[in-house]
Amino acid sequence: MVCKGIEELLSPYLEDELNPEEKLAVEEHLKTCQICADLFSFMKETKESLADFPELEVNENLINQLYSIPSKKKRFKLSLDFLVRPSLQPIFTAATILLIMISFYIFHPNKNLIDKSIDRQIHLGFSKIGRLYAKAESFTDSLAEYKDNILVSIKNVKFFRENEE
Amino acid sequence: MLVNAYSKRTFNMAFQFSGSYEEAEDLTQEIFLKLYNSLSKYNFEKNFSAWLLTLTRNHLIDQYRKTKWEKKIRDDFNEYSLVSDTFTSPEEGILKEESKKLIWEGFNHLSSEIRMAVILRDIQGKRYDEIAEIMSLPLGTVKSRVNRGRLQLAKILKEKKEDKNGM
Repeated sequence: MVCKGIEELLSPYLEDELNPEEKLAVEEHLKTCQICADLFSFMKETKESLADFPELEVNENLINQLYSIPSKKKRFKLSLDFLVRPSLQPIFTAATILLIMISFYIFHPNKNLIDKSIDRQIHLGFSKIGRLYAKAESFTDSLAEYKDNILVSIKNVKFFRENEE
Repeated sequence: MLVNAYSKRTFNMAFQFSGSYEEAEDLTQEIFLKLYNSLSKYNFEKNFSAWLLTLTRNHLIDQYRKTKWEKKIRDDFNEYSLVSDTFTSPEEGILKEESKKLIWEGFNHLSSEIRMAVILRDIQGKRYDEIAEIMSLPLGTVKSRVNRGRLQLAKILKEKKEDKNGM
């Protein structure tokens, strides 16, 4: 077996996970190949060294910071709680609709046509109001003209004349 | 309770993976913040330690991809190493510490996925099936990665030791 093939088997050999045939093949190869034997020896040393790596203690400052994470998170959560109150939902809905309408107007490809249409509607509205105002004025004038006649007619009604007598 | 039970192993994993004490402190805080945010998603039928390790592994590898720690120098191993008193002689202790230092530096030459597999298997002592669950990989892939990692580290150790001995 070539060295490359043996390299693949060194780790399982170290952990005694090979079947008897593979195990024998590795052992035979290691007896004759000094390079692979050295590599196996260094692999064994690596595994033993890793198992003996020191475990560090966590410093007090970090522990305190870790303990403070839930309270920091809670404060942040409280500060945003008002956003999910049901009473604000109609306002958010109205604001959303308004924003959609504004964005529809701003980004519409025929924005000029919309502007013209709005202008026309406003103009029509103003002229309608003007006409109504003029009608109202002519009505008040005619009322003033007939005011005296109406008063006399009311006074001549039988019911009022009896009261005067 | 979570801090007492899991801060040490999370910090050590972050330290072993990143190689920097300061970086490991920041990473531990980020991992705990993620943990608190994801607690509602935790399935109580699953093993909590394995779930936390998956979260830790995902965060470490994500950060590794963003910041590319392999370009940075790892902290000096001797600064944190505690010489064990189980050696038969002081010379043996010095030689073992020297090997650990070379392996520690050698971690920078491993890809993030291989580095993670080696840390979980050989430093944290996890079983292969546990690692497969944590890393969401097939068992065979995990074994292959651990094997490649050990081979790479062994070659680095061999090369460095031979250089040192003037071979």
